[in-house]
Amino acid sequence: MSDLAPARAPIDWTGIAFAALLSLVVVVPLVVVGTWAFTEAWRYPNVIPQQFGLRFWNQTLTRPDVWAALTLSLQLSTVVTLLSAAICLPAAYAFARMNFPGRTFLFFSFLAGHAFPKFGLLIAIAAIFLQLNLIGTFWGVVLIQLVGTLLFMIWIPVAAFQGVDRRMEEAARDVGAGPFRVFWSVTLPQAGPTIAAALLLSFVGTFYETEGAWLIGAPGIRTMPVLMISFINNQMVIQFGAVLSVMLWVPSFIALMFARRVIGGGAFARGFGG
Amino acid sequence: MAWLIIWPIINAIGRTIWRPDADGNAGFNLSSYTFFFSDQYSINNLTITLWTTGMCAALLLAICMPIALYLRFSQGRLPAYVQALAIFPMFVPSIILAYAFIRVLGPNGMVDILLNWVGLPKIRTPYLTPWGPVIGLVWDNIPLTVLILLSGLGNIANPAIEAARDVGASRFQVFWHIILPRISNSVLVAISFAVLGIFSSFTLPYLLGPASPEMMGPFMNRTFREVNDPLNAITQAVITFCFCIAFGLFYVRSVARNQGK
Repeated sequence: MSDLAPARAPIDWTGIAFAALLSLVVVVPLVVVGTWAFTEAWRYPNVIPQQFGLRFWNQTLTRPDVWAALTLSLQLSTVVTLLSAAICLPAAYAFARMNFPGRTFLFFSFLAGHAFPKFGLLIAIAAIFLQLNLIGTFWGVVLIQLVGTLLFMIWIPVAAFQGVDRRMEEAARDVGAGPFRVFWSVTLPQAGPTIAAALLLSFVGTFYETEGAWLIGAPGIRTMPVLMISFINNQMVIQFGAVLSVMLWVPSFIALMFARRVIGGGAFARGFGG
Repeated sequence: MAWLIIWPIINAIGRTIWRPDADGNAGFNLSSYTFFFSDQYSINNLTITLWTTGMCAALLLAICMPIALYLRFSQGRLPAYVQALAIFPMFVPSIILAYAFIRVLGPNGMVDILLNWVGLPKIRTPYLTPWGPVIGLVWDNIPLTVLILLSGLGNIANPAIEAARDVGASRFQVFWHIILPRISNSVLVAISFAVLGIFSSFTLPYLLGPASPEMMGPFMNRTFREVNDPLNAITQAVITFCFCIAFGLFYVRSVARNQGK
């Protein structure tokens, strides 16, 4: 049955044009970076590299600054994600379920970070951190990176908690389950996957956060993106940046694919007011 | 926690308008703003920022609207592939994107290699010109713009469009009279988001754009970090808030409306 329909369907030229154009614009730059990472010699005007090899992987991975930045970035992302979860998840539950005075005001103050031009906001925060001697410190960067996680960690979990079937919770309560038991056995398993996606987005987003880390942390606190900036600006060896790009981006990309369900859904765009 | 956002803004406004004058007497003082608007370099930076933001917003609408319309009214594997590609840039951190663009569009980059291969002369690279950040920022903002427009288009009922088609409306007439009025809010949200994101963007303008004039993001960063002049950096930040306030308010209103649903 299904074989008959496509044979009669007209060719989707618009779709083919979009697919071809987007493949070219979106995929080619990344393929070029990927190729550079496995290249030992690629001189203009050769269309393909003269020599492929892994020499620069070895060189990049033995650089102490790369390891220091990687360790620091992983520490920062873990601390920021855990702190953000500790602050935002209870708040998200309260926003989704409870009615309390000032609820709307508080909810919007959490989302307000996205109603201002971000770097302007970071400068305003940095000016206060300057007085508090937080510039160039680990905790200064943690605090500024927290700001970037608020939207994901509030909006997505609020949507997740709102999506939980209230009747199942009521049914559990009717058979004598306490509030904690209901949350643990009914609410959390339903909202869990979406919240896990929010945590993942938050972790990866923090790992790549460049602006706050550069403004507050550099040069003392050197995260991976900050190191990348110095590689782009000052490093003559092209491959170092390419190797770092592939090495860091591919695992995160695979992790983000798990969170795609959340992003593809309409709820994500609605979070931005769409 | 919310004070991490609201307090710095109140603080920034307060510190730039209520501060000591030359004699050391604290009071209402707008001299840092006067300096900004009388300094040609600052004006040039603001102008290039406005130009980049406007150009990006226009390009984003021109690129994303047809993609969103196509995705809304098509089904099957090809649209799914197009949607996956359109959302893909969201998964690429801007630092990696900047690096990729330098390798593709920079001097002796992939575009030059391919042009040379087919016997054409090199292009004048957009890298380190005002077009460098425009290309990067448009690339970076395609996913969110498509998603927001698609979310708006999802609210349009098929019968409304079919009825218009039945009475002989052309594709353009359907778009102009039926679709556009219904998604005008989503279009404004998409533009607001793009403007708020682009106006003070840092990474892409810093790595792909010219050193002078520079966009407000790199300008604020340089004033704060390199010139070590927090007062003027905060003044610049407050000026960016003022330029974007309408878009910010619109964003908050739209989220509020969706919350009410």
